[in-house]
Amino acid sequence: MSDRTILVIDDDIDLVEIIRVTLENEGLKVIDAQSGDRGLEMARQHNPDLILLDVMMGKVDEGFTVAYELRGNDVTKDIPILMLTAVVDQTGFQFDPAKDDAFLPVDEFLEKPISPRRLVDLVRKHLPASI
Amino acid sequence: MRKGHEQVAPGSSQFVSAASLRVRLDWFNKLRWGAAVGVLLAVMVTGVWLRIPLPLGPLLSTGGVLLLLNLLYVIRNRRLAPVDISAEIRLVKLQMLGDLVALTVLLNLSGGIENPALFLYLIHVIIASLLFKGREIFQIAWLAILLFTGEVMAEYFGWLPHHHLLSASEMTHELPFILMTLASFCLVLLFSAYMGASIMSHNRAIKDELVLRQQDLVEADKARMDFFRFVTHEVKSPVSTAQSAVETALELGGDTMSPQVEDMLSRSVGRLQQASRIVRDLADLTRSGMLKQEFLRVVDLSAMLTRVVANQSDMAGRTGQTVQLDLPPKPIVMTTNGSMVEKIMENLVSNAVRYNRPEGRVRVTLADRRASVWLEVVDEGIGIAVEDQDRIFEEFYRSVAAQEATNLGTGLGLAIVRKFVAELGGEVDLVSAPGSGATFSVTLPRHPKGRAAKS
Repeated sequence: MSDRTILVIDDDIDLVEIIRVTLENEGLKVIDAQSGDRGLEMARQHNPDLILLDVMMGKVDEGFTVAYELRGNDVTKDIPILMLTAVVDQTGFQFDPAKDDAFLPVDEFLEKPISPRRLVDLVRKHLPASI
Repeated sequence: MRKGHEQVAPGSSQFVSAASLRVRLDWFNKLRWGAAVGVLLAVMVTGVWLRIPLPLGPLLSTGGVLLLLNLLYVIRNRRLAPVDISAEIRLVKLQMLGDLVALTVLLNLSGGIENPALFLYLIHVIIASLLFKGREIFQIAWLAILLFTGEVMAEYFGWLPHHHLLSASEMTHELPFILMTLASFCLVLLFSAYMGASIMSHNRAIKDELVLRQQDLVEADKARMDFFRFVTHEVKSPVSTAQSAVETALELGGDTMSPQVEDMLSRSVGRLQQASRIVRDLADLTRSGMLKQEFLRVVDLSAMLTRVVANQSDMAGRTGQTVQLDLPPKPIVMTTNGSMVEKIMENLVSNAVRYNRPEGRVRVTLADRRASVWLEVVDEGIGIAVEDQDRIFEEFYRSVAAQEATNLGTGLGLAIVRKFVAELGGEVDLVSAPGSGATFSVTLPRHPKGRAAKS
């Protein structure tokens, strides 16, 4: 069993399962939360190695709120965050990761639909090297 | 610049706002300059050239007073922004009263009933029918009748001096003549008021109808966009998740899948990608508030177009096409929503490549026109029939020729171009004929009107 744990915070259960299958296939452990509040609680409890966070749950910008709270908490502030965004919500109209990283506390954006290869590549890229 | 605070007119007045009345007032003032100058000229001609013995001093003074009053009106209009519609209407009425009194004084000084200039009262009734609704037009007509009748009667009874216009004429003392003239005058004025009121009320009814129709169209368009937005919102997650699922299945299945299963899954991915493209285009089409201040950036349009053309060159190369890019020597930079402009460029260039003939040429030009920026995309492809040229900008409309050429289009690219260009305050033009390519040109103003109001 791997000791690397990925927390997926997304209210789309099907997508969570797709991500779980893909990442477990890579030998990673996946835990999930279907809401921002539950996600914050699990992040503090389990201290995962990386968080996949959906930008749009319930409210339009719930993902951002969660990201700010994760960064504001001592336990979770260093956990890498990959933010899942639907390409239709973004296309540069609302934010631009290259320019807005100063005030968006996430490490990278990952566009839906998620390509399994890209998901694995990005998770590997941002997972902290094991000690 | 003066800006009118739009205020709804109370009561019977036709004006929607004080600002729209002010426009008429400005025109009214111009007319009065002409009238005052006309009076001065007429006095010169009759007094100096025709040598008719008229009281030149009082006549010229009245003309001068009219000039002075008009100057005051003009200064007042420049200084004060139109705010209160009823105050503006009172002012117009006051001005008309002044004009009618001035005309009556001028007539008294130049022959009274002998002077054919009495028909100038008619002009006031006509102006009133352009400015007001029924009741007020008749008020002006009656006021004119009252003033003129009063003047004639005052001369008849000797309360006012009579200045002869015609030599040794005693017409002013012939009561039947006076009464006939007054009756005709009264009839002409009232009939004009009636005609003016009915013609104008008919015109206004047509105009109101047009405004209502226009509002209906705007609302229908908004309802359509709301519907598109709703559908987009509902469909995007299922499509996106399904695509992720099928791609993941393909990836996980690897060599263990039978060729048939792999083929089916690949087909699914292809169709889901197509659905994703439609969802993405619909999202662009229905997006609102894109010109808010926080989305505006200084954008290098030359660099942006270079990037867009480079992205399309693979696709162009596959069919042996060449894409020629003409940029001005100095980079074109402007403050705008870069995503919108990029989408316009992308959609026009990718369309040109998609519908071009194999080994054809696509010419993309960007030019600086001081107040605006000009983009032109020319291809040598299938072209667009005249009857399709308007329709291809509608959502989901694809001409038969376009459908035969490729199934890659979503039918939304040009609708997005049209919408974005309009929102940026620009214009899009199309010149084309079947079989001889198409030329799309877009003009984007550097400082769109009303931009400040939107932010």
